Amino acid sequence: MSNEGKTMDDRNDPGSETATAAESSNIGASTTRTRIGLDVGTSKVVIARGDSTRSESGTQLNAFFVVPYSSLHEATLQNNRVPFFREGDELVVYGSASEKFAHMFNAEVRRPMAQGVLNPGEPAATHVLETLLGTLVPVARSPGELLAFSVPAASAETGHALTYHEETLKRYVRERGYTPLAVNEGLAVVLAELAKESFTGIGISCGGGMCNVAVSYLSIPSLTFSLAQGGDFIDSAVGAVVREPATRVKAIKEETLDLAQPGSDKIGKALHIYYDTLIESLVEELIRAVTRSQRLPRSEQPLPIVLAGGTAKPNGFRERFEKALRQRTLPFKVADVRLASDPLTATARGALVAALAER
Amino acid sequence: MENYRREREPCSSELRTELARITDDIDDPVAKLRYLRGAIQRGDATQIDRLPFGAVRRALYRFHGLESLDSVIELEGEATPVGAKTLAARTRARRFVTGTLAAGLLFLPALLAGLAARIDAPAPPLDVAAASPAPRPNVPQQPVEPLPESLPADQPGIAPSTIWLADRGPGWELYSNGLRIETTYAVYGERREYRIHHRDGAIEPGGYSKPIGILFHTSESDLWPLEADFAQQLRRGTAGLLRYLQHEQSYNYLIDRFGRVYRIVDDESRANHAGHSVWARNDDVYLDLNSAFLAVSFESRWDGGRSLPITRAQLIAGRNLTHYLRQRFAIAPEMCVTHGLASISPRQGLIGYHRDWARGFPFESFGLPDLYTVPPPSVTLFGFGHDDEFLRAVGERWPGLIAAEQMLAEEARQRGLPVEVVRRERQALYREAGKSRAF
Repeated sequence: MSNEGKTMDDRNDPGSETATAAESSNIGASTTRTRIGLDVGTSKVVIARGDSTRSESGTQLNAFFVVPYSSLHEATLQNNRVPFFREGDELVVYGSASEKFAHMFNAEVRRPMAQGVLNPGEPAATHVLETLLGTLVPVARSPGELLAFSVPAASAETGHALTYHEETLKRYVRERGYTPLAVNEGLAVVLAELAKESFTGIGISCGGGMCNVAVSYLSIPSLTFSLAQGGDFIDSAVGAVVREPATRVKAIKEETLDLAQPGSDKIGKALHIYYDTLIESLVEELIRAVTRSQRLPRSEQPLPIVLAGGTAKPNGFRERFEKALRQRTLPFKVADVRLASDPLTATARGALVAALAER
Repeated sequence: MENYRREREPCSSELRTELARITDDIDDPVAKLRYLRGAIQRGDATQIDRLPFGAVRRALYRFHGLESLDSVIELEGEATPVGAKTLAARTRARRFVTGTLAAGLLFLPALLAGLAARIDAPAPPLDVAAASPAPRPNVPQQPVEPLPESLPADQPGIAPSTIWLADRGPGWELYSNGLRIETTYAVYGERREYRIHHRDGAIEPGGYSKPIGILFHTSESDLWPLEADFAQQLRRGTAGLLRYLQHEQSYNYLIDRFGRVYRIVDDESRANHAGHSVWARNDDVYLDLNSAFLAVSFESRWDGGRSLPITRAQLIAGRNLTHYLRQRFAIAPEMCVTHGLASISPRQGLIGYHRDWARGFPFESFGLPDLYTVPPPSVTLFGFGHDDEFLRAVGERWPGLIAAEQMLAEEARQRGLPVEVVRRERQALYREAGKSRAF
């Protein structure tokens, strides 16, 4: 698939330039000065927009699929108001509708991002992600308006890919007329959920590609790290052992999984096992990182932990995480473990708080 | 714009406590975040953390924090997001500061007059006991011999033949000889990198990064009496000192008065401890002791020639730490030296620019050769001298210094030159060597 000679005008995108067509979007026109927080996740892109008193959010699935061009395909997509663009002899369907319509067209869903950053193995990654972001992020009303977007913490797995990812996003944001502000994903969770604690505590964002953690003291990120495992790891691991496509496992996970109840079938049981694996890895890595860190103060102050992200959403996740934590000797005291008020939008809301706080 | 993603050290616990108290009265998350970011940035820029008294630091942090509310209160056209209680505290703090300044200005002439009356009186000696509430006996002070403290020699007993890391936990390491190192203040610094000079002026090819020696220091900090009544001050004093040393990356280790060993700068990193210093072993001469030597400091103050206010616990911990470091880096005993013996002033051509442990270090208790009997290379190789002020401070020349100066005098006699000419020749060699000591 080549991008040559193509512009945004090639898109048949009912949502482009506005956010109104985004799934779950309830963003409306605002008469006050607003800013934007953006969570660019492996699985979903979430936008939060508003001021200090209220915010609104919108979501797009960060996925796409490709079907060969035919007038029938094109008409079907147009009739269903599915965002797509034509790329030579192919039609690229993107966003939240892609998962639903991929089955109809017998196509495989692809991801512009993997493990928290632009997917290096996906040639269309940048173009698709930018097109997808265009459905959520309107052109800035006044030049230089601040837009804060989430970035994962560096890890051995992401390496230089993180720099490329971040710079690509910054360039895109500038092209839309904004001033970009990068916010660590874990810290964004703290900013969204721990205002009462003066932004002191541990924020954990469990996303599709990775888990991001930040230990914050009064909003200063004193320790950040990421674990290159998330919801996708669970989907693919379960899919491999039960011989089901990962997309089906994902659908079951999002619709029916209850970690407070024992798994009732093969997929359910496997989901429990791999959720526990992920939680154990996350807790171990948290303890290891805190123990190794030279920056953290020796403090008796118990720290609250906030869990956010789609992977933390299933019922019972918080309890399992807390249990895994309590079973170990920790190098810090835990005040409580809580789930974000809205796990899916916490990172975007936190980024919005950062954007609003900056002059 | 990197404030929300780059890891940073948190601000001091005292500043955190004061800011958290103030932000309790700000409900709006955005205003709270904006306030915290501004107050922390301003707090970091102050030198309050260097003040010795916790109560003063906290009061200043609070005042500082209340002043920083301006950034969120004075937003044009927006309602004040700060509660009335905190606003009232801010007003009171401002009044207090204004009142204190006014009172200071009012009484300044009287203070100056009082100072003028006392200006001719001899200054009382600095003494750790001065802070003690106990009355001091009114007896004339005898000159105290600069003798080192003594410890019984290491008992072989059941001491392990080698020292290894026996256990570790968050913030500490325990070694098999009983040495416990607190690591909560440990930071990484600049990588060690130094060159080895030869006595003939040649330079060893290539650079070195492994520490070759240990330099002993005293922290020269304020000391409280070692009494239970001062337990809180002792703890706070040490904590403040540690923060300062960590910020400045002054030493690799500090041993506090209770014998706790703190790692400050990682062993593999250089600390800023030696200034201009010289030491040598066999044919090898070391000019960059920051890189070549590990720095071990005792929380203590050495007033030239006076008894050492160092504790038995510090001696024991220092001995264990020295054994561990010597084993880990294969450090020769004659490379464990004091700062006072190695420090020089190249500009003045004098030894003893820093004088910590210039006399009185208990080499024997540490199982080390007495380096006060060894001619210092700063004198024998580079001709550095001393002045009367130095002698007044240290009391008398030590045997090694006497021997070194005799060697210079003998050479001058043999060559038929004044000794000052020989010294100048040697100092020129130091300046020449100094040009190539850095990479």
